[in-house]
Amino acid sequence: MAAYLISRDNFLNLLGTLQKDYSVYIPLKKDENRFFTRFKSDEKDKEDGHIVFGEVRTVEPLKVFYMRSRERVAEGFKDELPSTGAKPSCIVGVKACDLKGFQVQDRVFRDDEYKDPFYIREREENLIISADCTCAIDTCYCLALHVNPYPQSNYDINISEVSGGFVAESGSEKGEKIIAGNASLFSEAGSNHLAERDAKRKGVVNEVKKNIRENRIPDQDVLEGAVERNYNAPLWKEEAAECVECGACNMICPTCHCFLMYDQQDAERMARLRVWDSCMVKDFAQVAGGANPRPELWMRLRNRFEKKFDFFPKFSDIYACTGCGRCITACPAKIDIRKVLRRLVENV
Amino acid sequence: MYRSNNPYRPIETKVLEVITETPTIKTLKLKPKEELTFETGQFIELTVPGAGEAPFTPSSRPAVKDTIEVSVMRVGKVTERIHSLKKGDTVGIRGPFGTGYPMEEFKGREVLVVGGGCGFAPLRSLMYEFFEHSGEFKALFFRGGCKTPKDFLYKKEIEGWAKRDDLDVMLTVDEGDGQWKGNVGVVTTILDGIPMDHKKGVAVVCGPPIMMKFATKKLGELGFKDSNIYLSMEKNMSCGLGKCGHCRIGTYYACKDGPVFRFDRIKKFPNIWD
Repeated sequence: MAAYLISRDNFLNLLGTLQKDYSVYIPLKKDENRFFTRFKSDEKDKEDGHIVFGEVRTVEPLKVFYMRSRERVAEGFKDELPSTGAKPSCIVGVKACDLKGFQVQDRVFRDDEYKDPFYIREREENLIISADCTCAIDTCYCLALHVNPYPQSNYDINISEVSGGFVAESGSEKGEKIIAGNASLFSEAGSNHLAERDAKRKGVVNEVKKNIRENRIPDQDVLEGAVERNYNAPLWKEEAAECVECGACNMICPTCHCFLMYDQQDAERMARLRVWDSCMVKDFAQVAGGANPRPELWMRLRNRFEKKFDFFPKFSDIYACTGCGRCITACPAKIDIRKVLRRLVENV
Repeated sequence: MYRSNNPYRPIETKVLEVITETPTIKTLKLKPKEELTFETGQFIELTVPGAGEAPFTPSSRPAVKDTIEVSVMRVGKVTERIHSLKKGDTVGIRGPFGTGYPMEEFKGREVLVVGGGCGFAPLRSLMYEFFEHSGEFKALFFRGGCKTPKDFLYKKEIEGWAKRDDLDVMLTVDEGDGQWKGNVGVVTTILDGIPMDHKKGVAVVCGPPIMMKFATKKLGELGFKDSNIYLSMEKNMSCGLGKCGHCRIGTYYACKDGPVFRFDRIKKFPNIWD
């Protein structure tokens, strides 16, 4: 695929153009965190460094654009999908860890024998302009899950920050069309730009490697069978001791896909909604009669790891973790996935 | 296979009849507006408008295409509302979902069906399938148990089954009353001495988790192979599509890979009986 060069100004102009067809979301930095925020082309703060296309992942996982935290999935007995009336989303600055989340979400909602039309609609209509990470933060460990800190698939256009703007590459027909349709904004990238991109990538890879080394985070190659071997180990009770059952680890996870359906309490205007659900919450698997296969919190913590590191690789040959490190930051009890994984392979 | 565009919307359905079976169980005869065919052992999600939905395995004959029956025990919020439904009310159905009983596997073999309490509901549908294809099975045995004689689901009907030549029926209650002349004791007390080849025979078990746990243990002691024991694992099935995550058992989803499971496929997973 050909590589192009686009200046920062031209890139912002491109986003302005894309607003015709999409709601454009960009990562905006607030304090030390980045949040997806609606792009306004007339906005002044595109000058002052608040928009960070590079750096690292946002606080919210990418899945917020593919399965809303709350959405209407049925109205009455009508077979039509409830319409949101919203334009599709163009999500800019998506990082490689979030793109790996697609491997899990696609398997569940798109590539399964049963299709989820809501997810598929978003997947087909949304546009992804991903970006290389330009640094790592201490919770990053993507390489342990064999994800590089720069996108390699599942994007429409990827950008890599270099002097003079970005190296842009299309990863889909949709991306190729956008570049071709706005050809005046792009020029051909030179070998110096590509060399700069590759050097930057290498630098970030080394930062993540350092994180992995310092925290002794096991590589996914040694995780096979680790949860099963430790099924009755004391680590689950110990790690769950401080858990407050808030479910933040599930909400923030780019691979967690479980949801709860509930009906509006109005028989005349029947509507079914779904919200994200958390397997850490006590009644998650409980049935109406009261039976519960995981009545204790530590069983539910173990189940969360089983789902990600045992069930999913058996079900679909992938580990349902992207190494984004969000759950480490989100947990009020400071339960650290890196430590749990380390204990699983070091048997401590 | 599910054929709707929107797999989360229910099909509009009329309540044709409500039968009070026991103090806690009612059977609903339902007529969906669209044809809905199921295989015995598959389940549906029944919606009560304004209340929500819950999973049930139909208790009727799969061969009947225009109506469907479910027997519902009052145990929670949705079933409470189901119990207040009347003839003519409108409800919704999604499904059928999951994998039911492998009828082809049963052909030519001796089959023991063990039921407990509300577990008679899916089993009645299975028994209809056996009767429909009577003669294709080497022998059929039904062993059922309930708490007390008044808790027997389909009591009259089962009395009729007892008169059939192609079926051997025995029932038990945990606690008798003045009229009860049969066995008193849990269902495992009537599993001894069944004239069948336990090593080659098939057993189907459906009932409350505690009953399934002990019945399965007993069947193992009698010589049944784990691979010949079929269990109904009714977990918290919600979406029915293997997506919402609530009903996972080890590497399976009860809503897709079950609810009927061969025991050898799930025995290694923890807490399957809870």
